[in-house]
Parts: sequence; structure tokens; C-alpha cells
Amino acid sequence: MHDHEDNVPRGVVDKVVLVGNANVGKSVIFGLLTGKYATVSNYPGTTVEVTHGNLSVAGQKFYLVDTPGTNSLIPASEDEKVTRDILLDDPFHSVIQMADAKNMKRTLMLALQLAEAEVPMILVLNMWDEATERGIETDIRGLEEILGIRVISAIAPQKKGINQIRDALKPPLRSGFRISYDVRIEKLIDELVEVLPDSPLSRRSVALMLLSGATGMTAWLTSHLEEALVKDIETRIDDLQKHFERPLSEVVARARLASVERIYERTVTRTVPSRHPILEVFGRLSTHPLWGLPILAGVLYAIWLFVGDFGAGTLVDLLESVVFEKYLNPWAAAMTSYLPFQFIRDLLVGPYGIITMALTYAIAIILPITVTFFLAFGFLEDSGYLPRLAVMSNRIFNAMGLNGKAVLPMVLGLGCVTMATMTTRILETRRERLITTFLLALAVPCSAQLGVIMGLLSALSYRVTVLWVASVILTLILSGWLASQVVPGTRPSLFLELPPIRRPRFRNIVIKTLGRVEWYLREAVPLFVIGTLILFFLDRFHLLEWLRRAFAPVVVSFLGLPGEATDAFIMGFLRRDYGAAGFFEMFKNGLLTPGQVLVALVTVTLFVPCLANLLMMVKERGVRTALTMLGLIMPFAVLIGGALNFLIKVSGIRL
Amino acid sequence: MTETTGFSGHVDEMLETFWELREKNDLSRNSLVREITRDGLDHLESTRFLTWAGDTPVLSEEAEARARDIVRRHRLAERLFRDVLDLSNFEEDACTFEHVISPDVEEALCTFLGHPPTCPHGRPIPKGPCCSALSKKVCPLFSSVAHLEVGSKAKVAFLKGSHVDKLTHMGLGPGSTVRLIQKRPSVVIQVEETTLALDHEIAMGVFVKTTS
Repeated sequence: MHDHEDNVPRGVVDKVVLVGNANVGKSVIFGLLTGKYATVSNYPGTTVEVTHGNLSVAGQKFYLVDTPGTNSLIPASEDEKVTRDILLDDPFHSVIQMADAKNMKRTLMLALQLAEAEVPMILVLNMWDEATERGIETDIRGLEEILGIRVISAIAPQKKGINQIRDALKPPLRSGFRISYDVRIEKLIDELVEVLPDSPLSRRSVALMLLSGATGMTAWLTSHLEEALVKDIETRIDDLQKHFERPLSEVVARARLASVERIYERTVTRTVPSRHPILEVFGRLSTHPLWGLPILAGVLYAIWLFVGDFGAGTLVDLLESVVFEKYLNPWAAAMTSYLPFQFIRDLLVGPYGIITMALTYAIAIILPITVTFFLAFGFLEDSGYLPRLAVMSNRIFNAMGLNGKAVLPMVLGLGCVTMATMTTRILETRRERLITTFLLALAVPCSAQLGVIMGLLSALSYRVTVLWVASVILTLILSGWLASQVVPGTRPSLFLELPPIRRPRFRNIVIKTLGRVEWYLREAVPLFVIGTLILFFLDRFHLLEWLRRAFAPVVVSFLGLPGEATDAFIMGFLRRDYGAAGFFEMFKNGLLTPGQVLVALVTVTLFVPCLANLLMMVKERGVRTALTMLGLIMPFAVLIGGALNFLIKVSGIRL
Repeated sequence: MTETTGFSGHVDEMLETFWELREKNDLSRNSLVREITRDGLDHLESTRFLTWAGDTPVLSEEAEARARDIVRRHRLAERLFRDVLDLSNFEEDACTFEHVISPDVEEALCTFLGHPPTCPHGRPIPKGPCCSALSKKVCPLFSSVAHLEVGSKAKVAFLKGSHVDKLTHMGLGPGSTVRLIQKRPSVVIQVEETTLALDHEIAMGVFVKTTS
């Protein structure tokens, strides 16, 4: 995690680290303090990467770092480790702990660990309005007295508390609060403090991390101390463990919680709440064993109406048949007719032209679908509904060696598989991350692709839709099950926080969608242009004919598709949605039967991950793993497509 | 008090040893002399606590009941020290404890622990009157949160299992109030304003007080 070049003393002067439990609004406050947008959603784990931004307070410039949410300085997953490492490795000026004013016990658990680490800090109790609504009142002055630091109440969406945070940065205070542990533990801490290396965190807190067996600490120690000393420290900790029946980490955590309870009793009062019964009831019902499923069906249907019907139907028709075909393409053709060279005219407006093909696909077919999908998806993200799917789907994921938590990257993959591959960091074990990355690359269509597919399917009978969904989901479950049999390790238990159901804020959804659409345009359009250029030159030099013939055994005989489908598959190598868009055009021109559409769509859905995702896979999982996955996915996609073609022919089903 | 405790404590120890030897099927004059000394055996014989049926030593009815109680209290104490208080060196304390608790405390403790059938070493804990009453009305003081009625609240007593750390960092610990929202398809509980979805096995490790 050394992706930024901080020279050591600089951090002490101006680096401010934003830490806190998951889903407490760190990214919102980050945005308000720096004026830079970081993706905000209503589920834990939206931020899995570190974001940086600038902030100036009364002439002094600070450098603010947003971190993934964490419940403790003793990390349980990769994203939590990122936060711990930021604090442990690089010097900083101060820490702003963002907290949920509704969850004071968890807040204090983390606050006491930061106090132990003797870092200059500010505690911000965000969502103060929600806490008040629920009848939870924290005595801010009392808490400041006990902890010896500034405590600020905030309501991020209303920008309340932001100025106080700025003020408190000059200068932030160190808490004098200390927890006393079991005498035997204290004795070892005292011994360790003598030998531990310096770090931005106090030696006492580093000693406690070591006692708690925090992941990655041995590596850190080895890089700072001689090996013999590291061994000696480990032996001493092991010896201490022998005196306790429970793991030391639990003994330490309990002592902390006991202190937390005492502070809680003195500072937090609870009265009868005034609640939002409708949202709460919806939250309950959405995970209900009986009502959960109809609600899911309703949500899916609503998305279908908005994205499939409105986006892929109405908007695409409007853009493609009116804007592009009636005005833009003829206008472009008219303009280019003044160009002297036939070659350039073809390049721009021919059958494989940049305007007539690449831009028509990217802007007319995929863009409206992506926009409507991201709007619907943003709404779901901000409502807090997505993590609730984990409860409903836990059993299914168990069969794939995962638990319900994996539903988050999977559903996110429906937005963008590349982003989702990064989100696998919220999963606890390497095994889960591996399986999920593979399944995302294989069987989860991203919004652009999904949108094109939806557009195509909406023109066919619902039976094709059902068969497409069933084929993809079956492949997903089957390959997940196979992967879980092959990859060694055990399945960790489900442990996931469900955020409250909230009314999504329109503004945030729009900002988020704009960001994602911009990202799509930058990411996809150049690839579309490149793909079109490749097709153009292949066609020009009569290589396309040759390729069609070369792949005829696979495309024509095995998959039962017309030879032109090879073009779409070539485009699919660059982006699967581009491939799907090729089939969309072929279908519109009457080149495909419904059965062929089904085979083509299933094959292209499972087809190679897009270039961006492949790069992300290399980044997250390593070159070898990424290439192995690629090598598995391609033949697998063709195999499933071929099997489906065979089944359709044999069963004689009419679609 | 101290005098009698000292004396009866001595007899209790011998009866306990007798019980353990009998469990191991190692009951003979030799093993008794080895474990409780010649003098100890003489004392048991002279008080008529122990008689001989041929080569087999037999306890009087009173001594049998007393041995049973002491073993029971010892093993219950072991359970308490290990399971609830997290001690690893509990043997010595259990030996002291067994002599000082009254039948009432013993019964409360047994109920508190949910009438455990065995001690931490796997040896059976003799049943007491409270355990027999179990068949009439099951009412252990503690049960897993997963066994609560859906929608009901309870106070956490203690946590067990491999996820104690994580639960603790969520602010869930002894004394916090949890509410069971649903059991299926996954367990969902609420602590303060935090809602957690858990696998059944994790929920089984959260023990709550069942009586208000």
C-alpha cells in the first residue's frame, strides 16, 4: 500500500487520516472537507481503496486520507488491514475518527484503541439526527472530559459540524485514557514496550496488537527488528497465552468492552424513540423468509421496467432510429462526402465506420442503458437494500464455498465487473476472493452488457429471457461449486452488518451516476473505436472473410450461428458489451433466430472479461491467476454455448 | 466453622477420591491405600462410611450421597471457571470452591450452566434435584440467542466460539441487549442500532439470560 510518495517528515506536518467503522459516512465528510467526490453508498465496504484530497484550515494546508471502514485496529479483512497499515507505516499529523452517533459502543471500542495508540485525534459523532430520532443522546462535554479530546456532533448531509472539525484540527489533542488489562498482560506489555520499534502508534498499542495476533504484524516486526528478537517476542506471547483458556485477543477485547460499557453508562442516555416505521418495516420484510422473495421479485421487476423497457426500449429507439439514423449518420455521410478519399469516408461512415458503428453502439445503444441502470442501481445502493440480499442468498453462496457477504461484489458486478473485482477485498479469506473474482469474470454481466442483452430480450418472448437467466445462473452456481471443490480451504461464516434502510438522496444518486457514466465513456468508447478499427482493417484486407471461415467450425457448426457472428465475438474480446451490441444489430437486421440469440447471448455473457477487468484481475490476484482464469473461461463459455445449441436442437423447443 | 470445615473437608476429599477410583474401575484396598493413605482408610472404616463386601469397598448411603454432592460441586465449579470465567488453571480453585458452596448455590449454578452433563475433562457430572426437574420444565438460565423467540429481546450473558472478537468490536458483549429479528434464512440480530446477519453457528455462541 505504498502507492503514494510521502516523504517521511511531511506526513507529520499535514497528513490527516479519516478512520471509522464501516458505513458511518467517512466518504461524505471527506467530500465536504476536500470538495472531492468519493463514492458514497449505504452499505459497508463502498470504500476499499484509499482516497486522498486537500483541505486548508486558516491558511494551513492539510492532506486528507479517506480509508476503508474498520471496527478495530486488529484487522479482520483485507480492507481493514489497509487502514491499520496506513496508521502503522507512515507518520501523520492527526486522526479524525468518524463515528455513527447511534452506535456509541462500537464508536468507543475504536476510540479507545486510538486513545491507546496516543495519536492526536478528533472524534466526530455523525448521523446525530438519526440518533436523536431514535432517542439516543450522548453527553458530548462529558465524553470530552473522559477522553480528553475534542468531540463534535455532525449531520453530514446538512453540512453540520464541518466547520467545527476544521477548527479542531488546530491543534488536535491526544487522549490520556488508558485501559488496564489483566496484570499478566500488563507485565508483558511493559516488557514489550522496552524492545518494540518506533511507529506513529504508541508502543503500548503495538504490543496489544501483537498480543491480539493481528494479521501481518509478524511481517511488520521482521522488517524492523532482528529475527531472534522477533522469535523471542513470539515465544513470550505464546507463553502468556498458556495462562488463558480463551485467545488473548478475546481477553483484550473484553477488557476494552468493559471500559466502553463504563463510559457508555456515564455519557449515553436513551429515551423512547420516534421512529420511521415504514422504512423499518420494509427493512424487516426484505430479509423475511416469506416476504423477502416477493420483495426481491418486485425490485427486479421495477429495474426491468426502468432499464429494460424504458432505457433499452424507449431511449435506445429514440437515440438510434431518430438521432443517429435520421440525423447524425446521414449528416456525417453528407459531411464526409466532401472528403477526397473513399478510404477515409469508409473509415468514418462505412459499415465498420467509427461514427456509424463505434459511436452508434457506444452512445445510442449502450449509453442510455448504462445511465438508467446506474440510476436504478444507485437508488438500491443508497437505500441499504443490497446487503439484505446476503441474508436471503447465504445458502446458495454456501454451495459455492462462499457466504452471503459475496452477494455484494456479485451485485456490484452487475454495475461494473471491474469495480466489483476490487470490492472482493471486503471478503475475509483469499479463497473467497479467488472464487468470487473468477465467478465475476465468468458469469456476471456488467450493466452495459446487461443493458444490451435486456434490450435484445425485450424484443423476444419471455421464454428466451427465462432460459438466458437460468443458463447463466446455473453456470454460475455449477462453476462456483466446482471452484469450491478445487480451491483448498474452508468457508468462513456469514458475519455482515445490515445498514438501516434510508430514503436515497436524489443528489447523491445523480452525482454517483454521472461519475460512473463518465468513467464508462472514458473506458469504453476508446475501446469501441479500437475494436471498430480492427474490424475495419480486417475487412479491408479481406481477413474478416478468412477469420469467419477459420472459425466456422466453432461459430457455425458448434454454436449454430451465422458466420457474421464472428465479428461480434471479435468485438467481444475487447468488451463483452460490445460483442452483445453486435448481436443486437444482427438481430435487428433479421440475421438471428430467437434460438440463435439465446445461444449467442449466453456465450457472450460468459465470454472473456473485458480488458479493464483483466487488468484489475492481474492487479488484485496476480498475473498467473488472472491468465489461468482467462484460459478456463474462454473454452468454458464456448462449451456451454455449444451445449445449449445442442439442447435447443434436440428438444426442438420453439422460442 | 474453620475447624469443622477442615475436618469434613478431609473426609470430602477422600470420598471424592473414592468416587474417581470407582469411575476408573480401579477400586481396591491397594489403590485406596495409595490414594488416601492407610490412616484415611481407617478413618472411613471407623466412621462406618466405608464397609467391605468381600473385596469390594462399599460406601454407606450417607457417604454415597456426600461423595456424589462433592463430585458434582467440583465438576460444576470446573465448568464455571472454564466456560464462564475463562480460566485455564482452574483445578485448584475448583477444589476450594467445592467445599464452600451451599446446596442452594449449587442448584443455581447448575441451572445457570444449563445442567451440563459432563465436566471439562469429559467425566459425567452427577445429576442433582434441579436436573431431574428438567424433564418437567426446561428453563435453563442461559440459552443461545438463536433459540430466543423471534422478535424478543434478552441480555447477553457470555460469548463463545471463534467470532467473539468481532462481536465484541461490534459492541456486543456481556450485558448488552440483543433482539432476535429472524432465524431463517440467516440469523439476524440487533444490538443497539447495529443489525447483524450471522450464520447459525455464530449465533449459537451468543448466550443470553432467558429470565428477566
